[in-house]
Parts: sequence; structure tokens; C-alpha cells
Amino acid sequence: MPSLQHGRHSINYEITGPDSGPTYVLVNGLTQYSALWAPYRAALAAMQFRVITFDLLGQGRSDKPSLFIEQDDQVAVLRTLIDSVCQGPVFLAGISFGGIIALRYAIEHGERLAGLVPMSTFAELTPQLFLIGNALRNGLILGGVEYLQDLLLPMNVSDAWLAQRLDKLDAVKRPGWLVNDLYALQNLMESFLDFRPITPELGAIRMPTMILNGEFDFLTPRHLHETLRAHIPDSALVIVPRGYHAFTLDKPELTAWLLARFADDVRTGRWQGGGTVWLAPEEAGGTMIRFPDEFDHLRAVPVRKDVPRERNST
Amino acid sequence: MTMTLGPLDATGRIPSLQQTRVASFLISAHGAEARLLTAVLANPLSSPLFGTPQIELHAQLCREMEIVSLLGRATSWQPDPMLIWLMWQWETSWLPQPVQGVVGKFAQGPAIDAAAFGYALHTAIRPAVLLPEHSPMSDPFAAALRRIEIEGGRIVQAQLRFLKSPELATARDAISAAVDRRHAQLRQLWTELLSSIGVVQES
Repeated sequence: MPSLQHGRHSINYEITGPDSGPTYVLVNGLTQYSALWAPYRAALAAMQFRVITFDLLGQGRSDKPSLFIEQDDQVAVLRTLIDSVCQGPVFLAGISFGGIIALRYAIEHGERLAGLVPMSTFAELTPQLFLIGNALRNGLILGGVEYLQDLLLPMNVSDAWLAQRLDKLDAVKRPGWLVNDLYALQNLMESFLDFRPITPELGAIRMPTMILNGEFDFLTPRHLHETLRAHIPDSALVIVPRGYHAFTLDKPELTAWLLARFADDVRTGRWQGGGTVWLAPEEAGGTMIRFPDEFDHLRAVPVRKDVPRERNST
Repeated sequence: MTMTLGPLDATGRIPSLQQTRVASFLISAHGAEARLLTAVLANPLSSPLFGTPQIELHAQLCREMEIVSLLGRATSWQPDPMLIWLMWQWETSWLPQPVQGVVGKFAQGPAIDAAAFGYALHTAIRPAVLLPEHSPMSDPFAAALRRIEIEGGRIVQAQLRFLKSPELATARDAISAAVDRRHAQLRQLWTELLSSIGVVQES
């Protein structure tokens, strides 16, 4: 597996697909590793995309600094990777922690990108997210990587996905447990301790941006994605039906199709962001449905935008 | 060469020679960490480790001794002449090392080295990943390795807070270098040990 050097650290990456195709770079979530993108490599390469996956600093088979990892380092790693191995149009997609790295890269080096896909991510640490993050970090410290996996899996994927794997969850978790080290994950989590909101800088993201949010994502709920939609000028928010925080694991066929469709729309000039809100189809190849303008897409129940949200009881 | 211990013997347990080598290494390293902690806690000049941190470090000292004792009980020992050489090699490696680049508070050098060694020991060495996927939960040695790895994440928090503390922010490069040096040292010796019993770990 190839690696590139970033300072004194080695970064593991993998390239799949034709050299001549437009490139998709996929950025992992915090507890993930690049092998989890295997279905995307296959699906997108089959659609003539060149796909690049990699392990962030501190993850998987990349070097794991002993004590200090800054989010700036991750953005710099991504820049080194894209500068080293990407030619032609580059589409960048990142999930959760990887979504923040992708957003920050787009803010700082947007000229390099043809399109951006932040997934299950955020620009600000709300009190809920901050406290959940702290609890997960304590869970990691007190119970180890396996306990963190035990906490995250049922939160982040659907019952349908879990039900198919309930009798072999140990085997599902084992590769992540083997390849990710507690101290490195803790370092990654602690890179949020001095996290500053990036909302004021989102306006600098000028390229087409498709924001993906799982319908049932309660780790990073809709209003966190709404911040992205409201501040990134050429963006659209796409709600992934029945998707949880890790819908990329849960629905790889649908998500790969959404990524390919977005890139095709951008390249053929069909893309229309404009802050619109959409519902993705249940299956790859289905019809995208515009979220009804008169309803509030931030609510979990059908509430009209113009109806007062609170009424005094009579 | 395999990536895990084994093959398991007829009773489903890890072979005694492998148990003996792995346990000897861990006893040597955790015993050394216990000695380093004892020295740091007894040193009135190690001021950064006093106050609240000493409580956690004292708890860690007890845990390190527990690990040594646990391995002594849980391991299926067998005579191994190689240990005469290996133990000498390990014990000399664990001796305190000077920390370059820390100025001003001279007592912090030994404290940083002790913390760096403890941190590296509990992070660079993951004994539970050596266990075959289906090693029996009833095997005391396997249970001991799992316990040591789980405990490791908890008991290095005192070192972690100390090494990352704002008071040492100006010595960050020196601290990173000290931890990296201890990491590299432990990883190399651990890799050599595993190689001697037919186990290779991916780098």
C-alpha cells in the first residue's frame, strides 16, 4: 500500500480507478480507517472516478504521533496528499471529523476543488455535541477502543444494518480495534479541546457543496448541517432517508450514487445549489425530491414554516 | 511467522514458551515503571507531580505492581535459558534517561522520563492484539493480557495530563522527543521479542 511523507510522518493512502477520471478524495471519520471505503472505491471506480482514500494522522496504518495532533496537521496532510497525487478536477468528501477537515481544507485551499461533500458534520461544537464528545472520550479512556465501538455502533447505524450482523459484531469491530490505538484516538478527540467555530469562514467556500445529513442522525442533528447550508453560498442540503450518523457504512450504494451524481451535475453544469433542501431517494438511482418549501426541514414532524411553533393552552 | 500468538496447544491455551517470554517482558517493563514511579513519588524536588497528580500516580504504582503480580500468577511458565540474556537487555534499556531541552526546573527531567516511559509502555505495547481471535475467555493468560490492555488506557491518564500540561508547554518538543524515544525503544524490543516466538506485527 503506498504512503507519502508529511514531515516526519508517514501517511497511508490508496488509489483506485482510472488515472484520467475526475478524482474523489474521501476523508475518514474519527474512529474509522481507510479500508471502510472499499465499497466506494469499487462503486466510484466503476463509474470512471479515480478514488483516493487514506488514514488521517493517528489513524489506521498512518503514523500515530505520541502526544500532540492538531487539526491543522490534518488539513496539511490532506493538502500534501491532494498536491501529490491529484490532477484534474478534485471532489472532496468527508464524514464527521473528516467532514470538518474537508470543510477547513475547502476554506483554506478551495481553488483546488471542483466540489465539496461534507457529511454528518458541523461547524460549531454545540453544548450537546461538546458533552457527548466528552462522554465518548471518557468512555474510550475507561473502557478502551472496544467500548467506544460498542457505544458508537448502535448510535450511528440503523437497526436494519445491525440486525444483519448481530451474530458477528465482534468480527465487524475487530479490524477497527486492531488498527486504531486508544492513545491515538484520544489524541484525535483532544484535538477538539481548542476547537474554534468555523461558521464565520464558511462563506469562503465558493465551490458547489452538497451537504449530506442522515434523517435520524442524533449525534450531529439537522440544525448543525443547517449552519453549513445557511453559510455556504452554493450549497444544497440533502437528507439521507433513514440514515444515521454513519450512513456511509449503512448505505454505501446510495451514498456512492449521490457522490457520483453530484460530481456529474457539477461537471455538466446541471448543479443548482442555491441553499435548496432535498430528500435523497431510498435507493440508488431513484428520484431526488425537493423538500416542500412550506414545511420546516429542521423539525422531525411536519410543521409549516408560517405556523407559530408555540401556542398558549386555552 | 503469524500475527498472533499460537497455534494454541491441545488444551486450547497459548504455548508455554510464548507465555513465558511475553510475561517476562511485561513483568520487566511494568516492574521498571513501578520503580520509576516510586523514585519520582519519593523525590521532593519533583514538584510538578505533587498535589493531586500524586494520587493518580500512586494509584498507577499500585496497578503496575498488580500487573506484575497478575502475570506471575496467570502465566504457564517454563524454563527458558534465553531469558538470562533478554532480561539483562531489557532491564538496562529501562534505566532512567536524560531528557534534553528541559531547562529551568531541573527536577522535571526525571519526572518527564518516567512519565514518557509509562505512557509509551501503555500505548506502544498492546498485548491483547496478540491473542488469536477465538482464544478462550477461560485462559488465565489471555484474560490477563486483555486486562492489562484495558487498564493501560485508564492508568496513563496522569502521565498524559502531566506531559500535555500548560506548565510544560515550552518544553513540548523535548517531551515529544522523550516520548518518541521511549516509544521507539519499547516497540523495537517488543518486536524483537515477538519475532523470537514466531509472531510478526504489522508496522
